[in-house]
Amino acid sequence: MRIFDAHRLLGPVPGDDVPSADVAGLLAELDHLGVDGAAVTPSEGLYGDPAYQQPAPAADERLVSVPVILPAVAGAGWPDDPGVVVAHAPAMVRACPVRHRFALTGPVALRWWHELAAARIPVALDAGETGLDRVHALAAAVPGLRILVLSPGYRSLRELAELVAEHPGVHVETGTLVAAGAIEWLARQAGAHRLVFGTGAPVWDDAGPRFQLDHLRLPAADVELIAAGSFDALTARVTT
Amino acid sequence: MSPVIDAHGHVGAWADFFVPEPDADWLLATNAAIGIDAVGVSHLVAVGRDTVAGNELALAEAQRHPDRIGVWLVADPHRRDAAAVLRDQLDRPGVWGLKLHPDTHLCAATDPRYEPLLELAAAAGVPVLSHGQTHSPYSDPGDLAELARRHLDVPLLLGHAGLWPEGFDRAARLAAERPNLYLEICGSRLTTRWLERMVATAGADRVLFGTDACFLDPRPGLGKVRLARLSEADRSLVLGGNAVRLLGPRLPTALQETS
Repeated sequence: MRIFDAHRLLGPVPGDDVPSADVAGLLAELDHLGVDGAAVTPSEGLYGDPAYQQPAPAADERLVSVPVILPAVAGAGWPDDPGVVVAHAPAMVRACPVRHRFALTGPVALRWWHELAAARIPVALDAGETGLDRVHALAAAVPGLRILVLSPGYRSLRELAELVAEHPGVHVETGTLVAAGAIEWLARQAGAHRLVFGTGAPVWDDAGPRFQLDHLRLPAADVELIAAGSFDALTARVTT
Repeated sequence: MSPVIDAHGHVGAWADFFVPEPDADWLLATNAAIGIDAVGVSHLVAVGRDTVAGNELALAEAQRHPDRIGVWLVADPHRRDAAAVLRDQLDRPGVWGLKLHPDTHLCAATDPRYEPLLELAAAAGVPVLSHGQTHSPYSDPGDLAELARRHLDVPLLLGHAGLWPEGFDRAARLAAERPNLYLEICGSRLTTRWLERMVATAGADRVLFGTDACFLDPRPGLGKVRLARLSEADRSLVLGGNAVRLLGPRLPTALQETS
């Protein structure tokens, strides 16, 4: 079974000394856990200001770069135009509306989301930072946009189930779904094709979710979807 | 090889959020599938609102599953009859020790109202598991270290090792300085990286495996220990060796024989 971690940071992290500060360290972590590949956001893009700092993409065939974009008026964000994102065609982008202080459903950002939706480029949003209400508002405003909710935590399962039921384009990363039986419950609610294995490492734990993947009480086909298949479908450019 | 003992578990539902699988049957089936031999639980009715009724619910689960479930009796510092009620319950089969939750009870661990309950634990020779939360006005690891200093003959388990990553290093140093203070490691914020650091700082003999089931799923909790870069001897101590030593004859009989 192929296992792909859809949510990792690459680079130094404030307040800790992490092995994934560089590509070699990150790959060693993946090897230790038996993870085949990962979607990685450069920590510089997350903790810095994308308007001024654009780190180089991760250079390894096992890694998929997820750049942090900042939809804002020209000169205050990155890039200047959503067409640049579409032209580069990343597998997925990440946005941080609270951290980087932009309006997720403001007029500027909405124009970007419509363009990304048309190009089938999904956006990843951290639930703790963004809030599920904002995710709901975005999904309602741009129904064609595919969204991956990162680190939803274990305390908001009711809201999360409602969110995925209402919006077919919303997917959920599983690393912090650690309430007892939460992954199986949400899989029954929404389908395993809406759940995407990820960890949020190194900020969040990676070993526990990896171990759990081997012990889910779900049909093998559902586990394979969660392990990698759902991410593949989420980031596919053609409708399957 | 020591058994695998989850030192920090629960059963029951909780008001603050939805728990998909709150029952003991699911927990024990999952534990059996992944190799957790026994779990010590406090019932969430006891943690949240009614210690007498909730502790009886936990004792009933231990009676149903005597080799798989132990009980942490929740001690409520606000009840004037707490020590008397707990004194009787401590003699019931399956009881592992007392559970303090200073944050839920809005009573600092160092508050005098906890003193008779700690004295009760000392007299009974049982360990005490306390919720621990860095920077909490009720259960900061520094306060639990003070409680351990006052009651040298009570093994005190610092729940969640302080819960927040910014407090893990300090919690480990406090445990290293205080012979009867132990780190119990359950919590969603723990990483293998921090577990390895705790073992290096406090010693493997001072760190106990816990999962916080059914708040949390036991599978990620066990996975952190199974996949941590620890020696097998250290991993065995964390997973159960230390619990066997601290709980002794209060463990289920089958596990005593294993040990």
